[in-house]
Amino acid sequence: MPLKAPSKAGGRPESTAALRHPAARLRLRLAEATAVLPAADRGVFAFESFVDGLGFLEPRERARVKLAGSEIFDNLMHHAAPLRGDAVTVRASLRGERCTLAFYFKSQTFGTRLGACEDEREPLFDPERRRWRGIGLKMCRNLAFKIRYRSGAALDRIYLEFRP
Amino acid sequence: MTQLDIVERRDGDRHVVAVAGPVNSYTYTDFQEKVNKALVQHPLVVVDMEKVTTLSSAGIGVLMAALDDAEAEGKRIAILRPSEIAMLALESTGFGDRFPVYKNLRDL
Repeated sequence: MPLKAPSKAGGRPESTAALRHPAARLRLRLAEATAVLPAADRGVFAFESFVDGLGFLEPRERARVKLAGSEIFDNLMHHAAPLRGDAVTVRASLRGERCTLAFYFKSQTFGTRLGACEDEREPLFDPERRRWRGIGLKMCRNLAFKIRYRSGAALDRIYLEFRP
Repeated sequence: MTQLDIVERRDGDRHVVAVAGPVNSYTYTDFQEKVNKALVQHPLVVVDMEKVTTLSSAGIGVLMAALDDAEAEGKRIAILRPSEIAMLALESTGFGDRFPVYKNLRDL
């Protein structure tokens, strides 16, 4: 029985005898979606809509991508702005069991901040805003299997990898 | 959905703050204001999170601060039936056991 290729827009393949083989399932879980989002105030809502539309992810996967990704997106808006073109390109892809969320942008400060990044910092109470801060990165580390940051002359990138 | 809707009601001796929509860095101040005000006026505040569509670290930071304040003042704050994504967010902080989560009001 020939295997059907999944559409790029997502959707799970039908369950057939041929698809019950793990290798067949892995091969079929291939999909990706890309969007250019405004690097602007309230841009995180556009990111959340983007993730809500990722029909090729299971609801639980989508929730993890949404939570971790929106923390990254928020941090970019608050700490890496201004971004070239006032835009961030976001790509979500699924390869077998591995889901990757990538952010592409160009910031004047990202490289410098990356060098001084205190990634292991524990949450601290902010008396001015009357809330705890520093929780976002902790959430990202717990939600994602891996996080990679790369600063470049032409492009900065952040990759989050999720596994079941 | 970009708007946070907050509806408050009384249920016996409990003050319920029902939240619907995204609790993120752009909406958390409304959430913070309502929860803190309720905590000043009532000994038991229940935050109903059944219709929360996302919960960012900003919202969790508010909840953690409210829990600290409630404890310090001999009051209680409880989280009622969080949505799946809200529960995942709470667990992902590594402080999941810090949040008093209930499935039903009668369990309080």
